[in-house]
Amino acid sequence: MRRLTRSFVAICSTLALTAGLAACSGGSDEAGGSGDTIVAETAFSLATIDPHRQFEFTGSTIDNALYQTALEFKDGDLTKPTDGLCSFEMSDDDKTMTLKLKQKDAKFSNGDPVTVDDIVFSFERLQGLKGNPSFFLDGVKVKKIDDETIELKSEKPNPALPYILPNSSIGIVNSKVVKENKGTTDEKDGAEQFLNENSQGSGPYKIDTYDPDSQVVLTANEHYNGPAPKYKRVVLRNVSAETQLTDIQSGQAQVAYDLNSDQANSIDDSMAQKTSLPSTRSLYIFNNMDSKVSDITTNEDFRKAVASAIDYDKILELSGEGAQRMAGLVPNEFNGAVPKDQAPERDLEKTKKLLKKSGYDGEKIPFHYSSDQSVNGVDLAQLAETLQAQFKEAGINLALKPAPSATQLDGFRSGKQPMGIGTWGADFPDPSNYNVFVPGGSVAERVNWDKDADPAITKLADKAEKADEDSRGDAYATMYKSLSDTGVWIPLVQPVDTIVVGNSVKKFVSNADTSFDFAKAE
Amino acid sequence: MAEAAPEAATTTEATPASGTTAGDAAQRIEPPKLHPLLRFILIRIGISLLLIWGVTIVTFLLTNLVPTDPVAAILGDRAAADPEIVAQTRERLGLDQPLIVQYFTYLSNLLHGDLGVSNQTRTPVLDSIGQVFPASIELGIGAILISVILGLLLGLLSALKQNTIVDHAIRTLSLIGISAPTFWIATVAYFVFFFKLRVVPGAGRLDPWITPPPKVTGLYTLDSLLAGQMATFTNAFGHLILPSCVLALFTIGLLTRFSRSSVLDIIKFDYVTAAKAKGLPTGTVVFKYIFRGALVPIITVVGLAFGSLLSGAVLTETVFAWNGLGQYAYRGATTLDLPVIMGVGLVIGIVYIIVNFIVDLIYGFVDPRVRVR
Repeated sequence: MRRLTRSFVAICSTLALTAGLAACSGGSDEAGGSGDTIVAETAFSLATIDPHRQFEFTGSTIDNALYQTALEFKDGDLTKPTDGLCSFEMSDDDKTMTLKLKQKDAKFSNGDPVTVDDIVFSFERLQGLKGNPSFFLDGVKVKKIDDETIELKSEKPNPALPYILPNSSIGIVNSKVVKENKGTTDEKDGAEQFLNENSQGSGPYKIDTYDPDSQVVLTANEHYNGPAPKYKRVVLRNVSAETQLTDIQSGQAQVAYDLNSDQANSIDDSMAQKTSLPSTRSLYIFNNMDSKVSDITTNEDFRKAVASAIDYDKILELSGEGAQRMAGLVPNEFNGAVPKDQAPERDLEKTKKLLKKSGYDGEKIPFHYSSDQSVNGVDLAQLAETLQAQFKEAGINLALKPAPSATQLDGFRSGKQPMGIGTWGADFPDPSNYNVFVPGGSVAERVNWDKDADPAITKLADKAEKADEDSRGDAYATMYKSLSDTGVWIPLVQPVDTIVVGNSVKKFVSNADTSFDFAKAE
Repeated sequence: MAEAAPEAATTTEATPASGTTAGDAAQRIEPPKLHPLLRFILIRIGISLLLIWGVTIVTFLLTNLVPTDPVAAILGDRAAADPEIVAQTRERLGLDQPLIVQYFTYLSNLLHGDLGVSNQTRTPVLDSIGQVFPASIELGIGAILISVILGLLLGLLSALKQNTIVDHAIRTLSLIGISAPTFWIATVAYFVFFFKLRVVPGAGRLDPWITPPPKVTGLYTLDSLLAGQMATFTNAFGHLILPSCVLALFTIGLLTRFSRSSVLDIIKFDYVTAAKAKGLPTGTVVFKYIFRGALVPIITVVGLAFGSLLSGAVLTETVFAWNGLGQYAYRGATTLDLPVIMGVGLVIGIVYIIVNFIVDLIYGFVDPRVRVR
């Protein structure tokens, strides 16, 4: 028996020794990476990096590094679109935009110069693919005027166009190479796979390897016409937030995208720097306007009671440092946002009076939300439970209806959910992007709020759409304030986008446009 | 009987006609008999193929029973509001066809080695599985090796030292292994062994700045050895240690408990007592008599555990950023990517069928009674 014990100890020792040897060979000495590689981690939301098809966060992060756009946001200021590859001019009626090729030294990663033909092809491909981002150029006719000029003609006044063109989904591709690889400007296009593996942009980086499930590696584009990036290689890895926290502290990664405020604050300053940017996401409660779906959410007094039952300060606390109140659905930094001091406050007395007036008898209201989704660190399941507790204090009873994101989204779009939590991320930083919430808009239809349901709001929306550059911000703010007052949408919070950068990165640019600019990091 | 022609007699259907004499029957040429093991293997293969077909039906039906429109998961809010884009997407995915047509299209594609294309990433599912499955195999093999060695030894030791402090300690440890939540263990282990002690490398299959070896098997350890890249091998091996150990904890606990009870059953048999009485060395009694007798039920558990490890370990893979089948399946499920869900379901079904098939074969080698039957 003793021999058996000795054998057991020997085997265990061998295993431990093997583990030890392996650990020594692959351990921490190498952590931190080589000097010209920067490692960034995020939980991937990635379907493609074909610029004219991508519409997800990770795809956008990558395409920002691969492709240049006709226009840009200077230093991430989302209120000021400026020249990119082109300079621009808008006609007085906001229907015609003239683009002039400005960066004539811009070159694609294979050395070909960027031409007007490439820009025209890129715009037309975006429109013709009929994919997620195609709506950006809906109703816009693209025309090459000469080798330096492009004309974009909109059916209706389109003052938002300068805010749309900097989007990474409208990246400019090398038309010659893309066409050679089955690229077209219609639905028959077959270049996606090619573009996933061989980027065709003129940005600071080009694609090295692409694995949408695991990691994407970029290498510097030697033909880039801007300053050469210090980090010649970018490794973007698909990693959960919990692991990102450990990796950023250990030096395994230099950039972490998905840490919530609490996680970021737990990191010692000697290890990493934290930047907090106002998120371009809005969180809100929706109320269905179809009495067949819910008798009570169609009642205006009830909806207003709900709005005054929320403890907004607690919601802010839950969302982390840097989160903001919202008085409307438009993020506070955008033109057309309702000033946040106009946001409602909790008033339980008012709630009780309104509830009595509404005839609410304490019935349980199904409350829908995505149980597996976190928006800039705000866990929607936790938010729903918090709201349930707050509403209970006010006498409103919710029956929580969690569902996986895909199921919840489908249910919301079917228009059969009485009440729940919704989220909206800005497609482009202009108040007109939120027109979908106006009666008859595509999101409003999900709560069965038809076009003619509220003529006063429709009138304000029309007025805002027709307003000139100087007055459109105020006109939209007035309209969105009225929209919030209806209680169909109750804005909850504008979360905060926290990016944590390891201290080995001495200099970097992080802004609302690109989040983290790899090309400018040193 | 003249009718009992030799040609007819060679067919398996030929039966002696009424009135056949004993002498005639003796003259008949017996049909060639398949070797029992070969016959057993052929029958098992036939059953396995039927099972795989059944798996295709079950995965297809279950996937399509989900009360959600997959198009909703693919399209953004704006695109989903455009009926033309919705119809075009539905047509592209073949979702406009009746369910039965969809199934036969799926089956036909399957027979041509086509598992479809991911709705989300539009990459062929087979290619993606080819990418992630080796990662799971590498992790599963690491975990099962650790589990089998430690689980069997601990179980054996525990049984032989029944009701001693050693037994109690091992049983407590195995209970912890079984009941501790994997996600928590993985997070704590990663924090302690990587971040604090720095004795293992970080998450992922390789350090981010190391280029994977040229793909042969997809197993980084093996491929790096084949390519003669020793630095990559040691790095890949180092990355394998901690996730394998974490993943093995549950199986170690399971195997310890199972082998303990199995050994305790065998130890009571007369042949063991007789072997001891004959004065055979302890090692011979333990390994040749007790352990071998206890092995059959243990093999079943090892087989099932291996199947489970190969089919993906979502939580461990998530913490260690190990891009294996579990993570791939999880992403497919949360984004309602039907081809991915069906592809993974099929692969997991096949894995279990193959593992069970191998376990059945091993029974025959380990236990002579099975061979005789």
